[in-house]
Amino acid sequence: MSPTLYDYVNQFEAHQKAVAMLNEFFGTDVTGYVTFLVFLVGALIVVGVMATIGGLGTYAERKISADIQMRQGPNRVGPFGILQFLADGVKMILKEDIYPAQADRLLFNLAPMLAIVGVLATLAVVPFSSGLTLANLNVGVFFLVGISSLVGVAVFLGGYSANSKWSMLGGMRGASQIISYEVPITITTLTIVLLSGGLSFGAFVETQGGLPHQWYIFHNPFTFIGFFVFFIGMLAETNRAPFDLPEAESELVSGYHTEYTGMRFGLFALAEYIEIFVLCGVAVAAFLGGYKVPFDLGSGVIFVEKLGLPAIIGKNIGQVLQLGSFVTKTLALYYVVIWVRWTYPRIRVDQVMTICWKYLTPLALFNLVGVTVWMYLTHNQSIWELFSHLFAAAGSGGGH
Amino acid sequence: MFQDILFICSAILVIAGTLGVVFSKNLMRACTLLLGTLFGVAGLYAVLGADFLAASQLVIYAGGVIILMLFAVMLTGGSADKANKFGIEKIMGMGSVKTYVIAGLTVLVFSLTIMKLLASFLKGYQKLDELPAFTSTVDKIGTMLVTDHVLAFEISSILLLGALVGAAVIARPRRG
Amino acid sequence: MASYTLDVYMPVVILMAIGVLLVLVSVFLAQIIRPFKPSALKEQAYECGEDPVGTAWANFNVRFYVVSLIFIVFDVEGALMFPVASIFRRFVEIGEGGVLLGSLLIFIAVLVFGIVYCWSKGDLDWVRSFQLSQEQINELKGVEDKA
Repeated sequence: MSPTLYDYVNQFEAHQKAVAMLNEFFGTDVTGYVTFLVFLVGALIVVGVMATIGGLGTYAERKISADIQMRQGPNRVGPFGILQFLADGVKMILKEDIYPAQADRLLFNLAPMLAIVGVLATLAVVPFSSGLTLANLNVGVFFLVGISSLVGVAVFLGGYSANSKWSMLGGMRGASQIISYEVPITITTLTIVLLSGGLSFGAFVETQGGLPHQWYIFHNPFTFIGFFVFFIGMLAETNRAPFDLPEAESELVSGYHTEYTGMRFGLFALAEYIEIFVLCGVAVAAFLGGYKVPFDLGSGVIFVEKLGLPAIIGKNIGQVLQLGSFVTKTLALYYVVIWVRWTYPRIRVDQVMTICWKYLTPLALFNLVGVTVWMYLTHNQSIWELFSHLFAAAGSGGGH
Repeated sequence: MFQDILFICSAILVIAGTLGVVFSKNLMRACTLLLGTLFGVAGLYAVLGADFLAASQLVIYAGGVIILMLFAVMLTGGSADKANKFGIEKIMGMGSVKTYVIAGLTVLVFSLTIMKLLASFLKGYQKLDELPAFTSTVDKIGTMLVTDHVLAFEISSILLLGALVGAAVIARPRRG
Repeated sequence: MASYTLDVYMPVVILMAIGVLLVLVSVFLAQIIRPFKPSALKEQAYECGEDPVGTAWANFNVRFYVVSLIFIVFDVEGALMFPVASIFRRFVEIGEGGVLLGSLLIFIAVLVFGIVYCWSKGDLDWVRSFQLSQEQINELKGVEDKA
């Protein structure tokens, strides 16, 4: 168990020796600086990887949509067009930045920054593996709900500041949609908090197991419904189809970023794609077992015992397996998100609100009550544990 | 070390944001700058070790109240020329150097007095190092909410109910 | 006093700083390379080719405000329920879940009552029916008949 990246690094002997040497060399306690460096490097790696995933997300979006519509998709830049996102990035940088004449320039500049900051700050609590969690905050999921609402403010300000009617409508719709769907999402995460007994993502994942029947999605019937409530809410939260009203191209031109050009537009798009990844990651951590690997391979103990590897290597193999498990599940969800976009038609703005307030929120509250009662009656056993107890009782001849 | 940095960042955010809110002549900008203040306050809570309070601050104020205020401003149209109708310059005798000097001196005297009082109070506690280690405040709050303060917990739901009904009633169209 | 434990916030601050820097650097970088030839036509707000009429900063429908008010109510509810939810498991494990379950259920029930009220009064509808009362309809019909 290592709550943060630093604790993970700190358990290696080499790191401790290096810190001791540095302490001696500088004559003062440099632990603080080393912590900072470890976190800085970790954060930079995470941001770099996430930016690449965000960029590849735009590529995947086009390629998958092309597959679904029997087209080719981007296929010129690099093998299979995979470098398309780099070309897009270069294009974004070279584009002229245009400020609308009547815009509020301060807010116009601030909006993309808020979006990026809000999304990047959520990365701090995403549990990539038991070692590579930047900050396992005690209030993890609550922090995530709070900080990701910055994106809602950014969407609104982006729409407002441009002083264009399309942007304004998109911004208003976007902000109201984002805050509305935060309600079912929050209530659904409450059920997971109930089950795991903690707000941190570490607690979420550690109380689940590697195999599907140990995941919270199959814990009881209520969490099974809860996962779909969460997923639908997630689509709306990230302004994805069928909830992409804020940027509905057939009615609002491009929604809240109609007037944005060049790099600022690119930053909005980047924030959106990273946010999808983060929310998919949260869904995986909360419902699909997170970074857990089946048969406890993730701790790496088995490699040390059976194969005779040194402890440090076994541990790192375990970490890589955990990372692979998390990323695979997250990308699979990411694929579903894109798939949904090109399959379902967009819904109307009044339907968006109806779905949120009249279907998802009551359903989420029902789930919440259901989970509490389930936990109370079954003493926090999953449906599989109940069955196995029943069978054991029947097998031992008549039960009690 | 990091505690100091976190505190200084939060404090700067609070002060800059608040000054921005006060001196901004545009309602929309003032709202946005208020976001900075609320974030800074969350940071201050974090410095004090109240992690749940910090997160609540983010969720409720930075997430909910700011959006509410932005929407409320949009009810008025939100344009810049309508802002500052009742601003400080519109009140007679305000906004001149003289008033600012007087106000500044008053604030200085008051804050010095209060700080002196506070200092004597604070000196009473010489055992701050013996405070329990920084653990999760969430569990403590949760336990308190359902044991000692369960009545407050339940009554707050009634309060929320009142707010919900009130919100719905204000916005209801008047039918003839 | 126990400053090392604050280190958990360090990645958050670092990531936010990276976010700010990312925006500033990328925008600044673009500023150097990109062309800059503003013209009145370019700076016009886009309205599908027409000249924009008036400003977009108009009065908006009150329902956005209502949605955010209801949202805040649920937000505060969440803030109160999260700590209680996080200890529920431990209470159940020691066999004391009953009272806690009861108080949670009362809390939820009061809020459900609120939603049911809003729902039944039609406050959750996005498109409100601004229906006229029967008297007004009759009145209008009378006007039509005379005409």
